[in-house]
Amino acid sequence: MSLRGFAVLKKRLLGVVTVRNGWAVQSFGYRQYLPLGRPEVLVENLDRWGADEILLQCIDRSHHEAGPDLGLLERISRRGLATPLIYAGGVRNADDAISVIKLGADRVCVDALLHESPIRLQGLARKLGAQAIIASLPLSITGGGEIVWLDYRSGQQQVLTPEVVEFLDSSFASEVLVIDWVHEGRPVAFDSRLVARFPASSIPLIAFGGLSEASQLRQLLQEPRVSAVAVGNALNYREHNISKLKTALIEQPLRPHLIQCSR
Amino acid sequence: MSALTIGIIDYGVGNLASVHRCLELLGYRCRVSREPAILDHTDLFVLPGVGAFTAAMEALNSFNLVQYLQQQAHNGKPIVGICLGMQLLAEASNEFSYTTGLGLIPGKVSALAPERCHIGWNTIEVHHRDMLLKPSDGMSFYFNHSYVLEPPVEYQSALARLGAPFTVAVRHDNIVGLQFHPEKSQGEGQKLLRNVIEGLCCA
Repeated sequence: MSLRGFAVLKKRLLGVVTVRNGWAVQSFGYRQYLPLGRPEVLVENLDRWGADEILLQCIDRSHHEAGPDLGLLERISRRGLATPLIYAGGVRNADDAISVIKLGADRVCVDALLHESPIRLQGLARKLGAQAIIASLPLSITGGGEIVWLDYRSGQQQVLTPEVVEFLDSSFASEVLVIDWVHEGRPVAFDSRLVARFPASSIPLIAFGGLSEASQLRQLLQEPRVSAVAVGNALNYREHNISKLKTALIEQPLRPHLIQCSR
Repeated sequence: MSALTIGIIDYGVGNLASVHRCLELLGYRCRVSREPAILDHTDLFVLPGVGAFTAAMEALNSFNLVQYLQQQAHNGKPIVGICLGMQLLAEASNEFSYTTGLGLIPGKVSALAPERCHIGWNTIEVHHRDMLLKPSDGMSFYFNHSYVLEPPVEYQSALARLGAPFTVAVRHDNIVGLQFHPEKSQGEGQKLLRNVIEGLCCA
């Protein structure tokens, strides 16, 4: 088959770095944490190892109303990433998002803003374009099979209302980060019903939380609605895991693994 | 031969840091500025951009850069527009409202229908006549956009496909536009950017 045969948009394997109190951590359901080290080092590793995109999530910024961690972004920027970067954490308005983009992020995740003010999210889309905005939704499934959405600041959960679903379908964000927060940090634990039953119909989904093994990623990548899978702990610990996963998933429409040789 | 000096147009919008680091990594001197007195002493302009067309043109206008860039382009200064920077080279855009662009490449920017966004790594197919991009034919680059510039065929350098093909690189003499992000496309992006800069400056 010629290269032209692969002329399609690839699905993506995202590497995730979770930051709390300024340190990269291994997270277990966003309840328990183990320190991993300096986030900029982990981000640089994922860049070197060939992740398709890197998600940097600073999980305590909205909680403390601290705004985005611009200092961390500045330190990462100085290292000269050659991989697309998504930033999540503390983005309150368009000015925050613009500051984040200027410091080297390509896209921003919004979570608290979705709860607080969809109107401000529309303003964000007008400034940055919807392609730069990802809606981040920590979700779980009740015993009755309903998808519920967590506001991690208050700990309250609510059913995804038709208004929220309609908003997600209305072109103000480009993708939804579906976070299985209950199973996050546990190997092979992602609840695939979150993707299968996700109500918004037109917006592509990024699956995250409890993803680690190739068989599990393959199942998700075969879902037409899934545009990307995001892996945290499993990638950060093992240098060749991106290469191994991509090799194991060679039949999937992922970008083949390429060794970074330019540094 | 001394290293080329790249003028990165700073109009308050866009991912300047990534472009700057990438160009430095490639060995170029960089001047990040919106001041003609500084930009005049560079060999090539890079016009980056992330965001919406209207806001970007408002920013270029507010810094009196529209006429300056048009004049420099007509004087033969090489200019490389990246992502939104490529779209700004167009005559106009319909993003949110009708807005005129720099008018350096014929054609208008419109929504990428029926797909609402083109995000991720996609392969480019380079037109045979474009020798700057030819070494990158069939390679994958990172895209992140929801609008697209469709110029007349003679200005099209490369296309990508989302079902139907659409233009992802344009060329008009000393002006090149790249809809993808070479600075965020790892090794292949760096190779392409070097080829484009060296090709334009040494032509």
